[in-house]
Amino acid sequence: MANETNNSSDKELVGLLAQFDDPTSLLAACNNAREAGYTKMDAYTPFPVHGIDPALGIKRSFLPFIVLAVALGAVVLGLGMQFYTNGGGIGDWSTDEAAIFPGYRFMISGKPYFSLPANIPVTFEVIVLSSAFATFFGMWIINRLPRLSNPLHRVSRFKRVTNDKFFLMLEAKDDKFDASDSEAHLNQWGAVAIEEVNQDLTDTKLPSWMAPAALIGALLLLIPPVAIFSVYGSTNRKPRLHVVPDMDWQHKFKTQVLSPNIAEKDDPVYLFENRRAMRQPVEGSVRFGSLEDDSEMFRGIKKEFSGQAATVGLKSNVLASTAVQEEENPDQWITGFPEGFKVNEDTLARGKQRFEIYCSVCHGYAGNGDGLVNQRAIALAANGKASWTAAKSLHDPTVTDSVKNPTGRIYDTITNGRNTMGPYRDQIPVEDRWAIVAYVKALQATGITAPGAEATESEAEEAGEPEADESAEPAAETTEPEAEASEADDADTE
Amino acid sequence: MATTVDPKQLNNTLDDPAERSPLVLGGLDYEGVTDTAAAVWDAERPPMVWWVLLLIALSLLGLLGACVNHLLMAGTGVWGNNNPVYWGWPIVNFVFWVGIGHAGTLISAILFLFRQNWRTSINRAAEAMTIFAVVCAGLFPGVHIGRVWVFYWLFPIPTEHLAMWPNFRSPLLWDVFAVSTYATVSLLFWYMGMVPDIATFRDRTRSKIGKFIYGILSLGWTGSSRAWHHYEIAYTILAALATPLVLSVHTIVSFDFAVSQLPGWHTTIFPPYFVAGAIFSGFAMVVTLLVPARKLCGLENLITIRHLENMNKIIMATGMMVGMAYGIEFFMAWYSGVEFEQFALSNRAFGNYAWAYWIMVSCNVLAPQVFWFKWCRTTPWFMVIVCIFVNIGMWFERFVITITSLSRDFVPSSWSYFHPTWVDISMLVGSFGLFFTLFLLFCRFMPIIAMAEVKSIMPVEDGHH
Amino acid sequence: MHETRPAKITSPIVDLGGAHLKLMPIALIVGAIGVGLTYALYAFDLQRFSHIYLVNFAFVLTMCIGCLFFVTISHLTRAGWNVTVRRIAELYAQCLPVLFILFLPILIPLLFSNDGLYVWNQAGWSIDGASTTVIAELNEADAKLPPLEELKKAYLNKTFFAIRWVVYFCIWGGMATFFLRTSLKQDQTGDKKLTSRMQAFSAPAMIAFAASVVFSSMDLLMSLEPLWFSTMFPVYFFAGSVLSALALITLTCLYLQRTGRITDEVTVEHYHDMGKLMFGFVVFWGYIAFSQFLLIWYANIPEETFWYEYRMSLTDGWGVLSIILLVGHLFIPFLFMMGRTMRRNKNLLLIAVIYLLVMHWIDLYWLVMPQYDRAYAHAIEPDGMIQFGVRTLLCDAACTVGVLGLFAGIFFLIVGDKPLVTLQDPRLGEALNHEVH
Repeated sequence: MANETNNSSDKELVGLLAQFDDPTSLLAACNNAREAGYTKMDAYTPFPVHGIDPALGIKRSFLPFIVLAVALGAVVLGLGMQFYTNGGGIGDWSTDEAAIFPGYRFMISGKPYFSLPANIPVTFEVIVLSSAFATFFGMWIINRLPRLSNPLHRVSRFKRVTNDKFFLMLEAKDDKFDASDSEAHLNQWGAVAIEEVNQDLTDTKLPSWMAPAALIGALLLLIPPVAIFSVYGSTNRKPRLHVVPDMDWQHKFKTQVLSPNIAEKDDPVYLFENRRAMRQPVEGSVRFGSLEDDSEMFRGIKKEFSGQAATVGLKSNVLASTAVQEEENPDQWITGFPEGFKVNEDTLARGKQRFEIYCSVCHGYAGNGDGLVNQRAIALAANGKASWTAAKSLHDPTVTDSVKNPTGRIYDTITNGRNTMGPYRDQIPVEDRWAIVAYVKALQATGITAPGAEATESEAEEAGEPEADESAEPAAETTEPEAEASEADDADTE
Repeated sequence: MATTVDPKQLNNTLDDPAERSPLVLGGLDYEGVTDTAAAVWDAERPPMVWWVLLLIALSLLGLLGACVNHLLMAGTGVWGNNNPVYWGWPIVNFVFWVGIGHAGTLISAILFLFRQNWRTSINRAAEAMTIFAVVCAGLFPGVHIGRVWVFYWLFPIPTEHLAMWPNFRSPLLWDVFAVSTYATVSLLFWYMGMVPDIATFRDRTRSKIGKFIYGILSLGWTGSSRAWHHYEIAYTILAALATPLVLSVHTIVSFDFAVSQLPGWHTTIFPPYFVAGAIFSGFAMVVTLLVPARKLCGLENLITIRHLENMNKIIMATGMMVGMAYGIEFFMAWYSGVEFEQFALSNRAFGNYAWAYWIMVSCNVLAPQVFWFKWCRTTPWFMVIVCIFVNIGMWFERFVITITSLSRDFVPSSWSYFHPTWVDISMLVGSFGLFFTLFLLFCRFMPIIAMAEVKSIMPVEDGHH
Repeated sequence: MHETRPAKITSPIVDLGGAHLKLMPIALIVGAIGVGLTYALYAFDLQRFSHIYLVNFAFVLTMCIGCLFFVTISHLTRAGWNVTVRRIAELYAQCLPVLFILFLPILIPLLFSNDGLYVWNQAGWSIDGASTTVIAELNEADAKLPPLEELKKAYLNKTFFAIRWVVYFCIWGGMATFFLRTSLKQDQTGDKKLTSRMQAFSAPAMIAFAASVVFSSMDLLMSLEPLWFSTMFPVYFFAGSVLSALALITLTCLYLQRTGRITDEVTVEHYHDMGKLMFGFVVFWGYIAFSQFLLIWYANIPEETFWYEYRMSLTDGWGVLSIILLVGHLFIPFLFMMGRTMRRNKNLLLIAVIYLLVMHWIDLYWLVMPQYDRAYAHAIEPDGMIQFGVRTLLCDAACTVGVLGLFAGIFFLIVGDKPLVTLQDPRLGEALNHEVH
């Protein structure tokens, strides 16, 4: 029977709670209640009772669909994360140019940047993790839990629900509900005990200490982020804290430094004889992937002459040897383009672009030798503030002459420099050099020369410019007198 | 209560095809289940043995703490890892513990999906064991990175300072994802399963602190049928997610080895073979823990001999799968005609580390064969001994795989012999301290039996009594 | 509310009722014509015929092996829910000893000539042969090793091969016969002890079964390319076998129920569980297939990758088949069979099991035919790939119909007038009242 009926204004009836002692009678009561027309009711049991869902009219959970949606999203998330962070690209994914995202691109064991098989495991884990979160939190949300304050917990009898008793509650919200009728019903269906469940309306008021406590708590929580941001935004002159000193100051020598005296005695001992802290590569060693044995491609020299000098590999050798070689074999240069390079619209466009970056500053956009640096240097030289050898016009007969200056030689000029022009092999990759050669030939084919350039060219030739006699002397100092002369000439023509 | 004594109530390992043996003995009713399961928790003071065990576990934990501290201060050079055995004991311990951590989720998830009702008495403790084993496992890769305070570099977190991302083509990173996902999902699964039982404790406790803590942890659970409905669906989904997850975790651990080209590591059977081995060692650990636990906590009527027998059968089956994988590896090494593979395998069995190999074979393949005899698989003290052997064997399996292959790599000039240091040994021993500390605390403060689930598989009595 | 059903068979018809007498000769004649026609259409080209025959033989064999596994594991785990569908599996498993006859077209040419299906049996087989260029290069450098073919011949030779196959069929036949006989005896007596006997037998039987499947899979399919090896291969074979067996059992139940047999015993709950198991094995197959591929792809060792390289090459056409397998054998059934509704709808389930069987056939085709392509078609036509013309398709289809016809004939022979459901199994009540929560 209902006890402690309290009708004071701060209580509101939630429903009637009936106790049963075993699942079978609970199940029967549920069926009876449904047949009697009750719709808003719920059973409370220590374990899930088989068959109670249809008895209470519980519809099948839609949780699986939420999880499925999240799982499908996780496929995109997982793959996208890896695609982005490992710098995948669309199209040819093995080249740097194809990067469409600024990810962290690093070649590992020859695998493509975006390797689908290798990305499956992590994608799978992301799917499972996301789905598990969706299941876990979705279930609690659907069940409207956590709900720590529940009028049911005020019924002392209800404590047995998590042990061995079974309860059915008819809710007061139900249209069919009527306190006395329903009680009679429940008795009739075999309830062992019936209790009223009342909502204590004062429950909604927070205890007075809670608001200030929450405020203080929130303020305290603010301290760490504020501290972090203040450190972030300020400078500090103190040396940083070294938590693990022997990790910060390790017993090792960095590359490219002199070896200290490792003997720790007066008689010095160094790691290596040349006092370096690192070893240098053995002479003749070739970096992996740098065996540039295609002489036409890499040196512009015909294959039959390629064996003349061991110039493969270390680049310092290249300069000297080509010069020596050229004297011996004036016809060693290839006259066309190497097999590995195709002249077409793309490479010409590339050549134009590279030419305008690297060459035009001296040689001018049209190759007339009137680049801005050249003009400025000549102007300075005229005042005696600099010494300068004027850049060559690429339309100069000695340059355009394909017998004297075949494509291979132009390539060599870009690679190793000539006279006072410096080498560009470190700045311009091989294929770009050939692209520039192609573009230079195209420029020459146009035959466009700057007004008055003809005169300069011919004068320069008369003056015996070193370019003209194909001299191989590289040093700028030796050409200084002529350089001054030609500079003066150039200044005159301007 | 029945007055005639049913023989099955005394020995529920008798096999009668016509009816299923009872899984709850002693004529316990619902309340009896709760009282039995919560006995240790109810007790005002835990038994003396508990204190003694906790003291031992704590001192081992202290040893672990000291070792980790020493390691972080001095660097990973204090381990025995050398050239060419770059992966020494830490990875062996890691794989060992991850393997142990498989049985819990397996019992919960796979046996749940296959509706093996006998799982209900043991799944909670096994799940707890999973979590604690994964904690132990995570320790080793955790500390090996040196600067542990920047562990988050392993995760794809955008940081301005770092300006780099993890390399997703590396199986070691897959491991980070697999193990952390596994730990998280196992924790969710464990906790979700525990909520109704925590609610039992909330309604049972008399202490104020207990009411507060269990009250919050139980999230206001009322046992409403609507809640149960969603809860059961969610539990099924989590089980369905956890099952492939369990497989994937040890599969990915096996990838750490198998994607390489090292002879003895690169074998395609590794994924299922590692999974079988993990289940094998995990079940062995569950038996090792539960036999004493059921005695100390008085759970003989819930964790019955039949439960133990079933687990022993699984141990025997997976032990034979592992043994078969050993055999296939040998056969395939010969059949493939790859001399490196042939050398690696013959070196395992007859080389420097033959002692480890034969310890492994006798513990993993031969020892479980005793379970063919019913007495062996139904006698608690005996099965614990066998299961301890299995655990030793499984540790050695990881040792054999890791060390023998590395110490004899392709270049004979770099061959060497691996010697563990005292730090290696202490950390392994110490990790057991961590594991047992957590498990003992769990036994005392958390529901060690899934009470709600046990009740749900008890035969429904006729209501009118 | 559900009521507990009594442990009794209630269906009006529980056997074929004499239908087998009519169906068996038809099936056998269709089968013989189909197989003979294929051989003739391929102009008595033994190689081409043997390969497509192997695909179909393996198709039939794997299904029966899977059924044998289903029976054994049921006893091993003391399963109760599947008692009513177990008899179908027992009957299919009993076909295994008879299938040895279907194995003879593969075995006899092998034994009595230096020709036949497998390259390793050919007189002139050496590692320089068409199939093995990769390893030939690798091993050329190492002169002190014995030639690889010598080593392989210690295992891959006709005598040992034949002995092994006799052993496999003895193991399978023995197991199947024991289970079916005991189960039939129980139909008569209802003796509970027989169940206990089968359970006791199942544990050691499982070990023999596992060993036989491991080695037979290597012999039957892996040794087509004698130089390729993968320790995972038997598991792959096993996953496909069980999946196809589950599909076959379900298909048979659906068919029998449509013809009015065993209508009460197999309920939607059983289909639901079979569907779940099939879903599980679809995932398992995907897991094994992916793991095997990933490990070989990642390590990138030539003596393993060449097998996949050939099957992944889009220019040779086999890559398309690989993609069909990936999508059709994993993704589509994964999504299709995930839902609960689907598994409880008999029409949808019928589509699903037929689809799965087709996919399993394609899987075997993918395992076998590229090998023919590599070893023989290249030798004949340098362009490679088997020409997929109408003629080839018709011939291959004829062979499939033929072998399936023979298989159906064998099945009807085995079934006879035996009951299609266990009549007095002690766990029958459990199965009849089985309900998926």
